[in-house]
Amino acid sequence: MSGRSTVGGKSAIVGIGTTEFARQIGRPEEVTALEAIRSALEDAGLNPKDVDGVFQVEGQTGEPWDVAHRLGVENLRAFSTTGGGGGAAAGPVVWAATAVAGGLCEVAVAYRARNRGSMQRPWAQSPARPTDRRAFDLPYGLVAPAQQIALTARRYLYESGAPEDCFARVAVAQRDHATRNPRAVFRDPITVEDVLESRMISDPLHLLECCPETDGACAVVVTSVERARDLAQAPAVIAGVAQGTGHRHTLMTNLQAPDPLVWPGASAAQDLYAMAGLTPGDVDVALLYDMFTPVTLYNLESYGFCGRGEAGHFVAEGGIDGVDAKLPVNTHGGNMSEGFLHGFNHVLEGVRQIRGSSTGQVANVDVALVGAAPVVPTSSFLLTR
Amino acid sequence: MGQSAMIDVRPMPAVTELSEPYWSGTRRGELMLQHCVDCENPQFPPEVSCTHCGSASLNWQRASGRARLYSWTIAHPPLLPYFAARAPWPVVAVELEEGVRMVSQLVGLEVEDYEFDMPLVADFEKVDEEVTLVVFRPAESK
Repeated sequence: MSGRSTVGGKSAIVGIGTTEFARQIGRPEEVTALEAIRSALEDAGLNPKDVDGVFQVEGQTGEPWDVAHRLGVENLRAFSTTGGGGGAAAGPVVWAATAVAGGLCEVAVAYRARNRGSMQRPWAQSPARPTDRRAFDLPYGLVAPAQQIALTARRYLYESGAPEDCFARVAVAQRDHATRNPRAVFRDPITVEDVLESRMISDPLHLLECCPETDGACAVVVTSVERARDLAQAPAVIAGVAQGTGHRHTLMTNLQAPDPLVWPGASAAQDLYAMAGLTPGDVDVALLYDMFTPVTLYNLESYGFCGRGEAGHFVAEGGIDGVDAKLPVNTHGGNMSEGFLHGFNHVLEGVRQIRGSSTGQVANVDVALVGAAPVVPTSSFLLTR
Repeated sequence: MGQSAMIDVRPMPAVTELSEPYWSGTRRGELMLQHCVDCENPQFPPEVSCTHCGSASLNWQRASGRARLYSWTIAHPPLLPYFAARAPWPVVAVELEEGVRMVSQLVGLEVEDYEFDMPLVADFEKVDEEVTLVVFRPAESK
């Protein structure tokens, strides 16, 4: 339909670029960001001076105007930084598409540089005397994201009756894709037994169900569909974009929501499909944020691929295994195996699937969905040919 | 990149103007919740306005202390040093009779005996003169 929006179908991703992914990359984020952006512009057949919009994810070194300055941009017409942590993974594309469709800018870059393999984890900097909401969690030892997600994960198993190893199946399916992806940081095949025998992090989550911290940068170029037709690559048309929180959402645990197991992603999904005039059944491949294995299941349910409580059964029955699965998911290996670019690597994989250039290529892809972390204020978009 | 030392104490709340009625309640052995004067819904943790309807009119009312076990996890290292020294460390989420959920700990029960939705009652664990934490115990054991 696109009736309620002037954004859907008006812009396209025309270039993708990335650095290598590594546990420690040895170069600062300001440098890797520019490497990825230059690479994406080259892929598109555009020059740095063509850029007039810069959109980024929060939590990295350098502002959008710093990047524009370093690229020699004559006038940065549109820029923003999207918040929400992993929920912002698709956010810069949401706003780049919106700005291009609205005429604020013509050639936008959206990017994420992230050196977290080289950094202390944020929870390790927890204060002794929290003044905010953490005052009600930290004293009890609920400190790290793994523990926060584990709380709902255990409840999920109970309410859904899904097999206990359904989470492990996610890690195995994604690693299988990564074995064919030369960019992936983790490429050795793993089994369900390997996952369940890896050490416990926060019961029921094992080490191999938690994504590792890595370094790297990813960027894409967004422009109008008209201009896209004259460029080097087949365009990946941005058919719909969305953000969402749902009602009474609190980060990661969602404990004050009417049903904690219905996540912000479910709210974004309704608007996303409505804007694009598509349904879950139209999606050929899904790139779904996965910092912990249960989060992939939460995304499968949020975006309507499974009903509430059905994703664990779906995965246990092989629903996401391989490129010819009922629903191929994270064909690059995801955050868990390709690298933790905070979900921005999922953006690039969505474009490869539309172009037909993935190492985990799904046959005849007409529609790809990219969904950020559904467990925080979130974002997503749909790509079509 | 910078590696600052982790805190070696158990984190404890800084009592703020917003949260003071909650923490003075726990010191008296009462679990206090914010309620909206306009839509009458309770909420937790304390906020500057009602997260149901946006109203700025809130008051504090004593909760029954009755709850059920919503879920739990058992945290293993790496953890903050205080918890690492006592790991594995169970953390629970409970749903109060009033409908709000909170993070807490269970006392008087081994983790092997935790059951979903089991009835619980609030109890109070004095930490120091300023802070008393709310914990929960099985309803029948009180």
